[in-house]
Amino acid sequence: MKQVEIKLNISAVAPLLDVIKQAADDLRGTLAIAATFPEEDADFTETWTQELMAAQNSDVRELLGLFGSDFFADGAISIDSNNCESLLRGCAALRIRILARWLQGVPAEIIEDEDAPVSEIPDELRLPFATYTFLDQIQKIILEHLNPAVAE
Amino acid sequence: MMVFETKPRLNPTPVPAPTPQRAELWRVVVLNDPVNRMSYVVMVLRRVLGFEEERARRHMLEVHESGRSIVWTGTREQAEAHVFALQQWHLTAVIQPDHEAG
Repeated sequence: MKQVEIKLNISAVAPLLDVIKQAADDLRGTLAIAATFPEEDADFTETWTQELMAAQNSDVRELLGLFGSDFFADGAISIDSNNCESLLRGCAALRIRILARWLQGVPAEIIEDEDAPVSEIPDELRLPFATYTFLDQIQKIILEHLNPAVAE
Repeated sequence: MMVFETKPRLNPTPVPAPTPQRAELWRVVVLNDPVNRMSYVVMVLRRVLGFEEERARRHMLEVHESGRSIVWTGTREQAEAHVFALQQWHLTAVIQPDHEAG
Protein backbone atom coordinates (compact mmCIF):
# COMPACT_ATOMS: atom_id res chain seq x y z
CA MET A 1 0.00 0.00 0.00
CA LYS A 2 1.33 3.39 -0.95
CA GLN A 3 1.35 6.11 1.64
CA VAL A 4 -1.97 7.91 1.83
CA GLU A 5 -2.38 11.29 3.45
CA ILE A 6 -5.88 12.29 4.47
CA LYS A 7 -6.67 15.91 5.22
CA LEU A 8 -9.34 16.31 7.86
CA ASN A 9 -11.24 19.25 9.24
CA ILE A 10 -9.68 19.70 12.67
CA SER A 11 -12.67 21.41 14.24
CA ALA A 12 -15.00 18.66 12.99
CA VAL A 13 -12.76 15.81 14.14
CA ALA A 14 -11.69 17.22 17.54
CA PRO A 15 -15.01 16.43 19.30
CA LEU A 16 -14.92 12.89 17.93
CA LEU A 17 -11.57 12.34 19.58
CA ASP A 18 -13.21 12.66 22.99
CA VAL A 19 -15.45 9.71 22.18
CA ILE A 20 -12.52 7.77 20.74
CA LYS A 21 -10.50 8.36 23.92
CA GLN A 22 -13.37 7.26 26.16
CA ALA A 23 -13.81 4.08 24.12
CA ALA A 24 -10.04 3.53 24.15
CA ASP A 25 -10.04 3.87 27.95
CA ASP A 26 -12.74 1.19 28.16
CA LEU A 27 -10.68 -1.10 25.98
CA ARG A 28 -7.64 -0.93 28.22
CA GLY A 29 -9.26 -3.47 30.49
CA THR A 30 -11.62 -5.40 28.26
CA LEU A 31 -11.70 -7.04 24.87
CA ALA A 32 -13.89 -5.42 22.25
CA ILE A 33 -15.44 -8.82 21.59
CA ALA A 34 -15.49 -11.35 24.39
CA ALA A 35 -13.21 -14.16 23.31
CA THR A 36 -14.36 -17.75 23.27
CA PHE A 37 -11.79 -20.23 24.39
CA PRO A 38 -11.12 -23.60 22.89
CA GLU A 39 -9.93 -25.07 26.19
CA GLU A 40 -11.27 -24.96 29.73
CA ASP A 41 -7.86 -24.42 31.19
CA ALA A 42 -7.42 -21.32 33.34
CA ASP A 43 -3.78 -20.74 32.37
CA PHE A 44 -4.52 -21.22 28.70
CA THR A 45 -7.51 -18.86 28.89
CA GLU A 46 -5.49 -16.25 30.76
CA THR A 47 -2.64 -16.36 28.25
CA TRP A 48 -5.07 -16.22 25.34
CA THR A 49 -6.86 -13.20 26.81
CA GLN A 50 -3.69 -11.35 27.74
CA GLU A 51 -2.24 -11.76 24.26
CA LEU A 52 -5.45 -10.51 22.65
CA MET A 53 -5.52 -7.56 25.07
CA ALA A 54 -1.92 -6.65 24.30
CA ALA A 55 -2.56 -6.75 20.55
CA GLN A 56 -5.77 -4.76 20.91
CA ASN A 57 -4.12 -2.08 23.04
CA SER A 58 -1.23 -1.79 20.63
CA ASP A 59 -3.64 -1.29 17.71
CA VAL A 60 -5.69 1.31 19.57
CA ARG A 61 -2.51 3.18 20.54
CA GLU A 62 -1.49 3.24 16.88
CA LEU A 63 -4.82 4.82 16.00
CA LEU A 64 -4.64 7.39 18.80
CA GLY A 65 -1.15 8.23 17.58
CA LEU A 66 -2.62 9.51 14.32
CA PHE A 67 -4.25 12.32 16.23
CA GLY A 68 -1.27 13.75 18.07
CA SER A 69 0.20 17.23 17.88
CA ASP A 70 1.07 16.85 14.18
CA PHE A 71 -2.59 16.34 13.37
CA PHE A 72 -3.56 19.53 15.20
CA ALA A 73 -0.92 21.40 13.21
CA ASP A 74 -2.17 20.57 9.74
CA GLY A 75 -5.19 18.26 10.04
CA ALA A 76 -3.45 15.47 8.16
CA ILE A 77 -3.20 11.79 9.04
CA SER A 78 -0.85 9.47 7.24
CA ILE A 79 -1.52 5.81 6.48
CA ASP A 80 0.95 3.40 4.92
CA SER A 81 1.82 -0.27 4.75
CA ASN A 82 3.45 -0.13 8.17
CA ASN A 83 0.41 1.02 10.08
CA CYS A 84 -2.61 0.12 7.92
CA GLU A 85 -3.36 -3.30 9.45
CA SER A 86 -3.03 -2.01 12.97
CA LEU A 87 -5.29 0.93 12.13
CA LEU A 88 -7.91 -1.35 10.60
CA ARG A 89 -8.00 -3.46 13.76
CA GLY A 90 -7.93 -0.41 16.02
CA CYS A 91 -10.91 1.10 14.18
CA ALA A 92 -12.77 -2.22 14.44
CA ALA A 93 -12.17 -2.48 18.19
CA LEU A 94 -13.26 1.11 18.81
CA ARG A 95 -16.37 0.82 16.63
CA ILE A 96 -17.44 -2.34 18.47
CA ARG A 97 -16.93 -0.59 21.80
CA ILE A 98 -18.79 2.56 20.69
CA LEU A 99 -21.70 0.45 19.52
CA ALA A 100 -21.80 -1.45 22.81
CA ARG A 101 -21.48 1.61 25.02
CA TRP A 102 -23.60 4.22 23.26
CA LEU A 103 -25.50 2.92 20.28
CA GLN A 104 -27.24 -0.22 21.49
CA GLY A 105 -30.63 1.49 21.30
CA VAL A 106 -30.22 2.74 17.74
CA PRO A 107 -31.97 0.53 15.15
CA ALA A 108 -29.60 -1.65 13.11
CA GLU A 109 -30.83 -0.24 9.79
CA ILE A 110 -29.69 3.23 10.87
CA ILE A 111 -26.38 1.97 12.23
CA GLU A 112 -25.64 0.16 8.99
CA ASP A 113 -26.62 3.11 6.79
CA GLU A 114 -23.61 5.36 6.36
CA ASP A 115 -25.92 8.01 4.84
CA ALA A 116 -28.45 7.85 7.68
CA PRO A 117 -29.94 11.31 8.31
CA VAL A 118 -28.65 12.80 11.55
CA SER A 119 -32.22 13.75 12.48
CA GLU A 120 -32.94 10.07 13.12
CA ILE A 121 -30.31 9.91 15.84
CA PRO A 122 -31.19 11.19 19.33
CA ASP A 123 -29.22 14.36 20.18
CA GLU A 124 -27.14 12.77 22.91
CA LEU A 125 -26.04 9.96 20.59
CA ARG A 126 -25.06 12.04 17.59
CA LEU A 127 -21.45 12.44 18.62
CA PRO A 128 -20.88 8.71 19.26
CA PHE A 129 -22.69 7.94 16.01
CA ALA A 130 -20.55 10.43 14.09
CA THR A 131 -17.45 8.87 15.64
CA TYR A 132 -18.65 5.38 14.72
CA THR A 133 -19.17 6.54 11.12
CA PHE A 134 -15.86 8.43 11.03
CA LEU A 135 -13.91 5.30 12.03
CA ASP A 136 -15.84 3.33 9.45
CA GLN A 137 -14.76 5.82 6.78
CA ILE A 138 -11.12 5.50 7.80
CA GLN A 139 -11.44 1.72 7.44
CA LYS A 140 -13.13 2.14 4.08
CA ILE A 141 -10.32 4.33 2.74
CA ILE A 142 -7.66 1.87 3.92
CA LEU A 143 -9.51 -1.10 2.44
CA GLU A 144 -9.93 0.67 -0.89
CA HIS A 145 -6.22 1.35 -1.03
CA LEU A 146 -5.33 -2.20 -0.03
CA ASN A 147 -7.59 -3.58 -2.73
CA PRO A 148 -8.74 -1.03 -5.31
CA ALA A 149 -11.25 -3.57 -6.67
CA VAL A 150 -13.19 -3.47 -3.40
CA ALA A 151 -16.71 -2.20 -3.85
CA GLU A 152 -19.57 -2.50 -1.41
CA MET B 1 16.96 -68.65 48.15
CA MET B 2 14.72 -66.62 46.07
CA VAL B 3 11.05 -67.31 46.06
CA PHE B 4 9.09 -66.38 43.06
CA GLU B 5 5.48 -65.92 43.55
CA THR B 6 3.52 -66.56 40.50
CA LYS B 7 0.11 -65.31 39.69
CA PRO B 8 -2.07 -66.25 36.88
CA ARG B 9 -1.47 -63.82 34.13
CA LEU B 10 -4.51 -61.97 33.03
CA ASN B 11 -5.05 -61.60 29.41
CA PRO B 12 -5.51 -57.92 28.90
CA THR B 13 -8.40 -56.88 26.81
CA PRO B 14 -6.98 -55.96 23.50
CA VAL B 15 -6.99 -52.24 23.00
CA PRO B 16 -7.60 -51.30 19.44
CA ALA B 17 -4.90 -49.17 17.91
CA PRO B 18 -6.02 -45.58 17.56
CA THR B 19 -7.32 -44.84 14.15
CA PRO B 20 -7.92 -41.41 12.72
CA GLN B 21 -11.44 -40.29 13.54
CA ARG B 22 -13.46 -37.42 12.25
CA ALA B 23 -13.57 -36.22 15.87
CA GLU B 24 -9.90 -35.41 15.61
CA LEU B 25 -10.72 -32.74 13.11
CA TRP B 26 -11.76 -29.33 14.30
CA ARG B 27 -13.54 -26.59 12.51
CA VAL B 28 -13.21 -22.85 12.66
CA VAL B 29 -16.57 -21.09 12.53
CA VAL B 30 -16.97 -17.37 11.93
CA LEU B 31 -20.15 -15.83 13.34
CA ASN B 32 -21.97 -12.74 12.14
CA ASP B 33 -21.41 -9.44 13.89
CA PRO B 34 -23.23 -6.14 13.51
CA VAL B 35 -20.17 -3.94 13.08
CA ASN B 36 -17.56 -5.06 10.61
CA ARG B 37 -18.12 -4.06 7.02
CA MET B 38 -18.24 -6.77 4.38
CA SER B 39 -15.00 -5.75 2.66
CA TYR B 40 -13.24 -5.88 6.04
CA VAL B 41 -14.40 -9.45 6.66
CA VAL B 42 -13.26 -10.47 3.17
CA MET B 43 -9.86 -8.90 3.73
CA VAL B 44 -9.45 -10.63 7.11
CA LEU B 45 -10.38 -14.04 5.71
CA ARG B 46 -7.85 -13.55 2.92
CA ARG B 47 -5.11 -12.44 5.31
CA VAL B 48 -5.66 -15.04 8.02
CA LEU B 49 -6.68 -18.07 5.98
CA GLY B 50 -5.02 -17.26 2.67
CA PHE B 51 -8.27 -17.39 0.70
CA GLU B 52 -8.65 -16.07 -2.81
CA GLU B 53 -11.00 -13.10 -3.12
CA GLU B 54 -13.88 -15.20 -4.48
CA ARG B 55 -13.70 -17.81 -1.74
CA ALA B 56 -13.41 -15.18 0.99
CA ARG B 57 -16.42 -13.34 -0.44
CA ARG B 58 -18.46 -16.58 -0.49
CA HIS B 59 -17.76 -17.20 3.20
CA MET B 60 -18.46 -13.55 4.07
CA LEU B 61 -21.86 -13.77 2.36
CA GLU B 62 -22.64 -17.02 4.17
CA VAL B 63 -21.82 -15.35 7.48
CA HIS B 64 -23.93 -12.34 6.52
CA GLU B 65 -26.94 -14.39 5.36
CA SER B 66 -26.83 -17.47 7.59
CA GLY B 67 -25.13 -16.01 10.63
CA ARG B 68 -22.17 -18.37 10.47
CA SER B 69 -19.74 -20.05 8.13
CA ILE B 70 -17.30 -22.91 8.60
CA VAL B 71 -14.16 -21.39 7.17
CA TRP B 72 -11.58 -24.04 7.94
CA THR B 73 -11.28 -27.65 9.12
CA GLY B 74 -8.15 -29.42 10.29
CA THR B 75 -6.00 -30.14 13.32
CA ARG B 76 -6.93 -28.64 16.65
CA GLU B 77 -3.65 -26.80 17.04
CA GLN B 78 -3.98 -25.10 13.69
CA ALA B 79 -7.67 -24.37 14.29
CA GLU B 80 -6.76 -22.65 17.56
CA ALA B 81 -4.16 -20.55 15.78
CA HIS B 82 -6.72 -19.48 13.17
CA VAL B 83 -9.35 -18.63 15.80
CA PHE B 84 -6.82 -16.58 17.73
CA ALA B 85 -5.82 -14.67 14.59
CA LEU B 86 -9.46 -14.03 13.67
CA GLN B 87 -10.19 -12.78 17.19
CA GLN B 88 -7.20 -10.44 16.91
CA TRP B 89 -9.00 -8.91 13.94
CA HIS B 90 -12.17 -8.67 16.06
CA LEU B 91 -14.18 -11.24 14.18
CA THR B 92 -16.28 -13.55 16.30
CA ALA B 93 -14.77 -16.96 15.70
CA VAL B 94 -15.12 -20.23 17.55
CA ILE B 95 -13.58 -23.70 17.35
CA GLN B 96 -15.78 -26.80 17.28
CA PRO B 97 -15.20 -30.53 16.87
CA ASP B 98 -15.95 -31.38 13.27
CA HIS B 99 -18.54 -34.01 14.24
CA GLU B 100 -20.84 -31.47 15.91
CA ALA B 101 -24.04 -30.71 14.11
CA GLY B 102 -24.29 -27.32 12.44
